[in-house]
Amino acid sequence: MRKGLEALTQQRLLIVTGKGGTGKTTVAAALGMLAARQGLDTVVIEVGDTSLLPRLLCKDHESLEEDGGRSPVQVAPHLFTLRIVPEVALTEYLELQLKVRRIVRLVIRNQGFRRLLDAAPGWRALITLGKLWYLQSQMDSGRPRWPLLIVDGPATGHGLSFLSVPNVVLDTVRIGPLRRQTNRVQELLNDASRTLVLPVTLPEELPVSETLELCERVRELGMTLGPVIANAVEPAPDLANLEPILAHIARLSAPPADSALLTPEVLRKCLDYQRRRSELQRGFLETLEQEAGPAILPLPYLARAIDSPETLSPLADALATALADWGESS
Amino acid sequence: MSTRPWLEHEILVTVGTGGVGKTTVAAAIGLEAARRGKRVLVLTIDPARRLADALGVGELGHEPRTVPRKVLRAAGIKGDGELVAMMLDTKRTFDELVSRYSPDQESLERILANPIYQNLTDALAGSREYSAMEKLHQLHSTGEYDLIVLDTPPSTHALDFLDAPRRLTGFLESDFLKLMFAPAIAMGRTGFRIFRFGSATVLRVMETLTGLGFLRAISDFLLAFESMLEGFTTRAREVEALLRDPICGFVLVVGPDPGQARRAEDFWARLQQERTHLLGLVVNRVRSWPGDEDAPELGEADAEHVTRWLAKGLAEQGSVFDPERAAREVVETLVRQASLARRDAEVCARLIKALGVPPETLHQIPLFSEDVHALDGLRCMGAYLFEDGGHA
Repeated sequence: MRKGLEALTQQRLLIVTGKGGTGKTTVAAALGMLAARQGLDTVVIEVGDTSLLPRLLCKDHESLEEDGGRSPVQVAPHLFTLRIVPEVALTEYLELQLKVRRIVRLVIRNQGFRRLLDAAPGWRALITLGKLWYLQSQMDSGRPRWPLLIVDGPATGHGLSFLSVPNVVLDTVRIGPLRRQTNRVQELLNDASRTLVLPVTLPEELPVSETLELCERVRELGMTLGPVIANAVEPAPDLANLEPILAHIARLSAPPADSALLTPEVLRKCLDYQRRRSELQRGFLETLEQEAGPAILPLPYLARAIDSPETLSPLADALATALADWGESS
Repeated sequence: MSTRPWLEHEILVTVGTGGVGKTTVAAAIGLEAARRGKRVLVLTIDPARRLADALGVGELGHEPRTVPRKVLRAAGIKGDGELVAMMLDTKRTFDELVSRYSPDQESLERILANPIYQNLTDALAGSREYSAMEKLHQLHSTGEYDLIVLDTPPSTHALDFLDAPRRLTGFLESDFLKLMFAPAIAMGRTGFRIFRFGSATVLRVMETLTGLGFLRAISDFLLAFESMLEGFTTRAREVEALLRDPICGFVLVVGPDPGQARRAEDFWARLQQERTHLLGLVVNRVRSWPGDEDAPELGEADAEHVTRWLAKGLAEQGSVFDPERAAREVVETLVRQASLARRDAEVCARLIKALGVPPETLHQIPLFSEDVHALDGLRCMGAYLFEDGGHA
């Protein structure tokens, strides 16, 4: 298996998923930023009902012009965003299938059809996956128009039913165009050379145990896992001789007057706290390493709120470093 | 805002976005109630395997598990209090519901065998939240517990679970299901009557696109639910009333991240609109500054100054290591911790202001540097919530 950034950028579809609150969206955006820096036309896609990506990836996101969620919108060189709205994707799909707009309008506006849509589970996931398939199939002068799609997927619970919808349809529908098209979606998802699932987690108990379950489920679904991204890893004070240093600090004379708060006691407590935090996290990371299967890419805890390309950039740099380390690992 | 002490409720609901430690807070509340001699059930949604280990109940599952008395004793909890834990299983709860409300055996078998039901219960609008509420109602009405602590499913959006009963019954209630599908099935035909859609074209189009198998599975699924509508609606109304009863209190759990704090404001407003009884706000994983003073603001010049002072001190001690490098590492850690402590304090202060609540409504729990999932850790967390004699 290839490693490093290249292992990800040679894929066509990266599905970023994980427990809520782990930073999926920022990781997906940082990955997009990184791929675009390589000159690869990259689309970062969100599927929920919030639109966070343009703000994260575009310097001037307020002046962006959208076309109602049909095609990717350019936000930076080689970088595009798209929010897939199931209702819009469905209209688009029907237009492609039926070719006559009048009939599409007739279907879409039909009361019975609308109510069926309100009630029927699963179609939103299916049409969203269908749209992803369509985007990756679009060609431009003999080359894929969108060589890399990065999806900021739903949180784990929903994420798994999201990815299992094609299986359900294939179990239920034996014949017809829906089966044919779902089959193609399923082939894309299960093709290790095109699609990877990237779990994002935190080095904490519940996120780690949920990630282990996620990894197992992804394999059961016949999909391939990329590296697991462990977000918000705290620095381990890199002090080869921490104990003697602490001892020295305890023996130091009073700090300079303008730093009256920085007593040896405070220094000692800070260091000790940070060391224990990082040890605690290391324990969870080790569990993850031993049980998850794929490689673990640690990303540092960044204190600054991420809400713009400028604040996202340090995360992208950290991701580049983690990917490079992975690439060089044996 | 309700002023009734937390533990004098029959139900406490912890709500919040994902990844803020709701489950742990719920467990800490439960443990404290048990310590005071109550019989408590903690109903959790998260697959909290290690939490189960810490409680000494083996694997948590759909059946209530009592924490062994000797485990409680070992954690210094005396008296007759009992702590029971249980993990919600959406599918199992739905199976129970379906069994209860199915009008006859045939309907029951039909829905249980339906592939859409089997695989997509999770994807059904609000099903996770609905089953949590259903289970809560069911357990509360047994009267077996003095207190039930419900750890709700994380939701990004204001309170999905408050809407869940309405959302689920909303689609079941529309009589279009009956109109659309029932006659065809009653007549023993496959497929449905074209005129029900009001347009032959629409149905033909749908048939062409999906194939009949799929439409049939969906119609069966919806029909089966339709037959249980009355049971579901009655129960949904009871649950809604229960959630607004003064015996049921809500605790909002948030992380100190500025983004999460903004979402917490929305949550709070929604809870108020919904006329629930709000008890307070728990800010979990707050970083603090050791010492009595507030965290200092350390600029680059300050950091440089302290680094030099420390390097000099270390050099004078005749260390075996590089004093410059060691001093830099130490000061980096220090600056980082000070800035995080300042950020967290600001977030808390802003929350109090934005929500317009008295400061004592906000309970801070520090970011522990030990694993909080041992019972001792939960006790420690509980102490931050209940230190003023249970008036958390």
